[in-house]
Amino acid sequence: MKITARQEQLSQALRVAGRAVAARSPLPITANVLVATEGGRLKISATNLEIAITTWIDATVAIEGGITLPARLLSEFVDTLPAEPVELSVKEGSHSANVRSSRFEATIRGMGADDFPVIPAAGEEAAATVDAKQLKDMLDQVVFAAAMDDTRPVLTGVLATFSGNQITLTATNGFRLATRAGELSSASAGDFSIIIPAKTLNELARILPDGDAPVQIAVTPNRNQVVFRTDELHVVSRLVEGTYPNYRQIIPTKFSTRVVVSTDELMKATKIASFFSRDNSNIITLEVQPGGEAGVGSVVVSGAAAELGEDRGELDAVVNGGETRISFNSRYVSDVLGVLHADQVGLELTGPNSAAVFKPIDAADYTHVVMPMHVPGGR
Amino acid sequence: MHVDLDAFYSSIEQRDHPEWRGKPVIVGGDPDARGVVATASYEARRFGVHSAMPTRTAMRLCPQGILVHPRFSVYGEVSGRLRALFLELTPLIEPISLDEAFLDVSALLPSPLEAEPVARELKARIRQETELTASVGVAANKLVAKVASDREKPDGLTIVPPGGEAAFLGPLPVRRLFGIGPRSEERLRGAGIERVDQLAGAAPEWLVARFGQTGLEWQRMAQGIDDRPVTPDRELKQISRERTFPRDIGRREELQGIVEALAEELRPTLQNAPPARTLTLKLRYPDLSIATRRRTPGVVITEDTLKPGALQLFDEGWDGRPLRLMGLGISNFVLEPEGQLPLFDDGGVE
Repeated sequence: MKITARQEQLSQALRVAGRAVAARSPLPITANVLVATEGGRLKISATNLEIAITTWIDATVAIEGGITLPARLLSEFVDTLPAEPVELSVKEGSHSANVRSSRFEATIRGMGADDFPVIPAAGEEAAATVDAKQLKDMLDQVVFAAAMDDTRPVLTGVLATFSGNQITLTATNGFRLATRAGELSSASAGDFSIIIPAKTLNELARILPDGDAPVQIAVTPNRNQVVFRTDELHVVSRLVEGTYPNYRQIIPTKFSTRVVVSTDELMKATKIASFFSRDNSNIITLEVQPGGEAGVGSVVVSGAAAELGEDRGELDAVVNGGETRISFNSRYVSDVLGVLHADQVGLELTGPNSAAVFKPIDAADYTHVVMPMHVPGGR
Repeated sequence: MHVDLDAFYSSIEQRDHPEWRGKPVIVGGDPDARGVVATASYEARRFGVHSAMPTRTAMRLCPQGILVHPRFSVYGEVSGRLRALFLELTPLIEPISLDEAFLDVSALLPSPLEAEPVARELKARIRQETELTASVGVAANKLVAKVASDREKPDGLTIVPPGGEAAFLGPLPVRRLFGIGPRSEERLRGAGIERVDQLAGAAPEWLVARFGQTGLEWQRMAQGIDDRPVTPDRELKQISRERTFPRDIGRREELQGIVEALAEELRPTLQNAPPARTLTLKLRYPDLSIATRRRTPGVVITEDTLKPGALQLFDEGWDGRPLRLMGLGISNFVLEPEGQLPLFDDGGVE
């Protein structure tokens, strides 16, 4: 095998594939990346058996072939090389690669390409196609809401529902829930739902190309893996098994008070209150007062800890409905405000112990539900 | 809102024993054993019987009275049902005892003036669900609501309009105010004050000179001022059962049997009360000295650990002398914690 590639592209490709390299694995070869020629390009693959990332870059292929090399060493070496063509060659029958730039040269010992785990499913028919930019937006608004620990494994996943020309992503940790609808660029092949590990989607969001390149989504025939494909990138992931909670039931459809307030101002007030509530389970309280004749009501955001002190931040708000108060974990509030991408947020409330709904004021495709904190005696 | 069941224990006994209806029923301990009256039915009250009176005295006043041993497990169960009814109105319930509670309904009703249909409905539901009657007092604060519920007992409903508190309390004897017992009543009478309005109108300097700071507190109450919030289950410090013995008991087996019986009486309470962390055994010797042993095992007391725990306390605490009284109590309650509410019924986990 002998190829020449641009240093920047090779370095970038190794970084992307490197996201899937196993940190600690009983299978030593999964600490390697597969480097191989394919269709006149250079393919770089890595997998930790949960997720596999494959990326292709342009290369001048002199002799076809492939090898697996220690991912970290190769990546660090190539990263540090000057921006000049890099040549990678492997002698026939050898398990070592010679990697050279104009003034640096290394021999890196690896293992045979044939021993690398088979990464499935490049050929499956696409079930749906969505454009990269929209998918990234959706991931950004939803994935963080999934559960971090696996007490309930399905909640570590994100539910992806395909129906007609719509894709909906939903995530919840049992205390807050985010759901976002988006459009498919071509209608899906039948309606179906899959649960994709949030970890996979975090990686995907990180490595998807910018711009509106089409991303094909395919599910393997045995329905246990999903593939995200662009021209330069394949991300394959196992799916989470299990039944996702019926989340539509959880989203309140009615409310007794609706508040519209500046997202930035609420974010700032939340942040300030969170300083004061740090030692008090991060409890911040929103007191909502409807306006009088003029119609301008207010939201007072407060935080307090017995030993530290307390704060109040008052915001103007358009309030429809009765006065109310509700307490939240400040993090859940700042999390959602941080991804709304809207000047104003609409809050739909139904009393201190009922789920609160956050929506961007100018878009109907995103809904975020946060359960309040119970404060005994209504504080 | 203050809800007070009418002659709770004896009404339950009359409900469950139709042949006792209309007759004087006295729920209490054994007259030959220093027992006291827990509740007397209204029929028995006409003979002058009242709660906390020695059963022996009660039976002398009312010889035809039907003496019934209390069935605390039944009362506890009814109390749980009452609580469920209260919960339909508000989560802010402050139970005072099995048969009495304060409800904060201010979120439901902006003013006591609008409370009548709600209070009537509650009374009707109580009657429907438990076949018992309750007296309800509605007012802007706890002090006045409690006095009001007592006003038209039994089966009463008294609503005190906001601003009318002082006028409502004024003509009543000071004894009706919470915290003014027989001794304080006596001291006040000595100073020429018998009715609430006299106390309300007294010169504050004079009250301070005469009764100290307490005088001012009494006056605030007399004026119908009370800003104590309804604190759910906060008042619940200890739930206990006690038994005063007919004769002093020194036999270990017999005493152990009583410990077991007390644990049995507490058991239903354990289900209804918030979880408790501490178990306390009280022992009183004939010389009236009291020994208490308490244990906080680090986990909440459960039905399984109640009896063995109580017996262990007895083994540790009893010095071998005969006893006159034993009591067993649970305390150190775990109140509903602050916390993140889950989205799903099966409880979210993170």
